[in-house]
Amino acid sequence: MKRAWIAGSVLILLLAVSWWNAWYIQSFTQTLSGVLAQAEDAAETGDWEMAGRLTMEAQDRWEGASRYLYTVLRHADTDQVDIKFQAVLEWIECREDGEYSSANAELMAQLALIAGMEQPSIKNLL
Amino acid sequence: MIIALARTIFLYLLIIAGIRLMGKRQVGELEPSELVLAMLISDLAAVPMQDFGIPLAFGVAPIIVLLCITMVLSVLTMKSVRLRALMCGKPSIVIDHGQIIQREMTRNRLTLDELLEELRLQGILDPSAVKYAILETSGRLSTILYANQQPATPEQLGLTPEDASLPLVLINDGRLLEANLKTRGYDQNWLDKQLAAHKLSSVREVYFLTVDQRGRTYFVPKEVWRS
Repeated sequence: MKRAWIAGSVLILLLAVSWWNAWYIQSFTQTLSGVLAQAEDAAETGDWEMAGRLTMEAQDRWEGASRYLYTVLRHADTDQVDIKFQAVLEWIECREDGEYSSANAELMAQLALIAGMEQPSIKNLL
Repeated sequence: MIIALARTIFLYLLIIAGIRLMGKRQVGELEPSELVLAMLISDLAAVPMQDFGIPLAFGVAPIIVLLCITMVLSVLTMKSVRLRALMCGKPSIVIDHGQIIQREMTRNRLTLDELLEELRLQGILDPSAVKYAILETSGRLSTILYANQQPATPEQLGLTPEDASLPLVLINDGRLLEANLKTRGYDQNWLDKQLAAHKLSSVREVYFLTVDQRGRTYFVPKEVWRS
């Protein structure tokens, strides 16, 4: 019976960790998307430096959590975010409105997809 | 490449530990659910072993979940007869007093060819000599012959043979198992005498030595050959 209790406890712990992970990824990506949205607003007003700073801040936060993210997410997905961050920063450097908006939108969509994949939904289950 | 090696070793050890915790040693003794588990675990482990883009956790977590569920179910089936019947099924009597029970054969999708094959593997050529043949939940067929078809026992023949006693291994491939030596109540002096009786001086020259409860030894010295 002791083994059953231990196994049951491990199962509950794994479930709790999974739920926390889903919440954390959702919260983290929403924070990053918020910063990227602010960067886009700054770019629209012509403040490219602020846009660059905010985007780099988002990128630093992403890289700060990369060890954890690489442990729980598919590497292909996390690599895509890294690539898209580089692309966005390049368009900021070039000060290209349209291209920057498009790249930023892709990056935010990728972050939303990553968070969405971790949520316990019927769509993900099926 | 080193990632592949590290993941392979880690997952292999994890699976071994998990299967050992299940408490079964041979595939043939596994219940169907446990056999499915073993197959699933091997597939789950193979995925992160081959694809480095998949986190190790994607293989480890499902394996741990499966092992935990199996552990919980195995304890619950031990406690509950109903759950045991649901998970493992019930044994079926396919031969009763020499008669093949066709309903049970159909229910278990057991063909006559399979039944006869199983009987032959147990040295039985005539189904009418079988009092009971039971298809166990593991898929194996147990047979009980009529008393007059069974080999005679010494008791039935009025004989009283000596009971077998359990030999204990004292030396295994040159290694002395001191705990077993003490269990049998012997010491190094006794061992030295045994070695001397076989003209040997060291435990390392012995391949295999056992002693049973009556003090009878089975002694195999190591072979010496030149390459």
